[in-house]
Amino acid sequence: MSTLIELAGITKVLKGQEQPRTILDGVHLTVEAGQSVAIVGRSGSGKSTLLSVIGLFDRADSGSYQLEGQEIGRVPERRAARLRSSHFGFVFQRFFLLKHLTAAQNVAMALVNGQGWLPRRQRRTRVMEALEEVGIAHLAKNRPTKMSGGEQQRVAIARALVRDPKILLADEPTGALDTETGALVIDALLAATGRGCGLILVTHDRDHAARMGRIHDLVDGVLNERVAVR
Amino acid sequence: MRRFSGRFRSSLIIGLQGIRARKLRTLLSMISLFLGVLAVVVVQAGASIAERALLADLELTAGYDGTRIMEMAPQQAAADTVTATVRGRTDAVAMLAVSGIIGEPGVTPVNPGGSPIDEDWGPPMDCDENGCVPIGGPKGEAVEVRLTALTGDVRQFRPFRQVSGQWLNFTTVPAMAPKLVLNREAAKAFDRHRVPAEMRVGGATNNVTPQFTGVVDDGDGQPRAYVRLDELTTWLPTSSLADPSTNSELRLMMAAGSPVEQVVVSKLKGQGNEPYVYTVETRKEQQKTLTLMQLVFFAMAGLVLLIGVAGILNVGLATVGERVEEFALRRAVGTPRFLLAGIVLVETLLTGLLTAAAAIGVSVAGLRVVSMLVGNSQPILQDVQFPWEAGVAGIIAGLVAGILGGFIPALRAARIPIATVMRA
Repeated sequence: MSTLIELAGITKVLKGQEQPRTILDGVHLTVEAGQSVAIVGRSGSGKSTLLSVIGLFDRADSGSYQLEGQEIGRVPERRAARLRSSHFGFVFQRFFLLKHLTAAQNVAMALVNGQGWLPRRQRRTRVMEALEEVGIAHLAKNRPTKMSGGEQQRVAIARALVRDPKILLADEPTGALDTETGALVIDALLAATGRGCGLILVTHDRDHAARMGRIHDLVDGVLNERVAVR
Repeated sequence: MRRFSGRFRSSLIIGLQGIRARKLRTLLSMISLFLGVLAVVVVQAGASIAERALLADLELTAGYDGTRIMEMAPQQAAADTVTATVRGRTDAVAMLAVSGIIGEPGVTPVNPGGSPIDEDWGPPMDCDENGCVPIGGPKGEAVEVRLTALTGDVRQFRPFRQVSGQWLNFTTVPAMAPKLVLNREAAKAFDRHRVPAEMRVGGATNNVTPQFTGVVDDGDGQPRAYVRLDELTTWLPTSSLADPSTNSELRLMMAAGSPVEQVVVSKLKGQGNEPYVYTVETRKEQQKTLTLMQLVFFAMAGLVLLIGVAGILNVGLATVGERVEEFALRRAVGTPRFLLAGIVLVETLLTGLLTAAAAIGVSVAGLRVVSMLVGNSQPILQDVQFPWEAGVAGIIAGLVAGILGGFIPALRAARIPIATVMRA
């Protein structure tokens, strides 16, 4: 398996307050292709900040961040946008579907992002394949307001998968769902790892975390691997 | 190039989706902008129509800009010199104007003094120390015209509009019965009065039987008839046409740089006749006045447009505020900052263009209605076409308003922090 992500000594300090607060303190993390990693921790422990750094939403103050062997910790915003488009897929707790668009249009949003151009027919094929993959192709023309929470989250997963990302970053994707629906969402995310996609899941749910290949605890900005489940 | 095209298409698709999703807001923006764009379109349309009408009439009467005009005292020798010098030339035309009366002999014409047919300048007077007394017989069926004899086709300098019939043909052998082309005012006179085809010109030994071959619009309010000089001189010598004691006129129209000017000036000076030469620049001068007026009106229209821009800006900022999560999400899926700005700009530009289309449509319809209602009393508005310049001005106003109104919201959209989606 090839190494997708390698974080070494990542530190992030929250400034702008009376006393600067260290959110991430020398984080080390390696994710291989096809691997699934759960990051668990209390609220405010820095899980989302870590995901922001990995997803290039935010920059670490120090440390090394390598993506497929290339240092990307200090890339300019334009290249970061390109990398987000080509390498990452994001799933959030709130699904962030645009209400005025259909499910298919919401998924196509990741393809119409100014990073390359796909003709309409190819776009439609890719969108339908992604919706098929998460089992809701029949809802392609529905708007989010007509869907259940689980269906909406699967549309969001299809949006994350439509560009064939190398890493899926999921920030508490089951937080707004019941247990049964949450399990279906985790199924859909894990299915992506079957074709070599890395998965980093931030969650509070121990059951969902247990289904991942590795679990890491984030406590006071320090990341520790808990136990190898599989 | 391909990358640019992809980005442009992306922003167009997303922009259109945004407009469709917020139809009411788009409509409100359009309403706030509509009056401003309409003002620009109306000002430009009005200016173009007025300019065309005004300048076209100016060219009819004064001639094209750049034409050289030589005016001189209508002495007999001068007339001979001028006509002999320009004979056979195409770059200069001599014009000799005299009074001619067509109709019953021995009567005062219906328009004594060659007045416009609906005006009465009163009878000709014979004045001495004791006062003036009217001369001539009773009014009869005769029309007085300014008879303008030409040595060549004057339309190269004055763009007469052919109303009916044919213009004078200078390439044929001169006809024995002079062929006349009337202007509109003269045609109106002959339309109202049935007169015998008999023409009296001062200095002619016989009355002449003219043939009317056509009617032109020469922009002149006085009845006028144009004739070939060589056809008129069959009946009277050139020198008889030029008499300083009468109201005859002698004028030469030349193309700029014509060698005729220098030759004629030298000859006339030798005869003691100092000509007055000038270049026609009426269009240029009129244009200056029109441009100044246009600027004043455009400034007022610009102010109204600015209010519309403020409306778009207001709606745009509110919309960006509402779409913070959408823009952050778009950044999360890889949309570059400047494309986000582009999406907002495309939306406001499309709003501006839609408004421009509406304003142009309303202006076209309005102009048609005005033309139908008052076209008969206002010739300037008769069968008037919507000027394309006004359409272009409307589109430019719409685009400018779109850019100005969308610029700040676009910057805001581009600056939305991507982590917004993580904190939500």
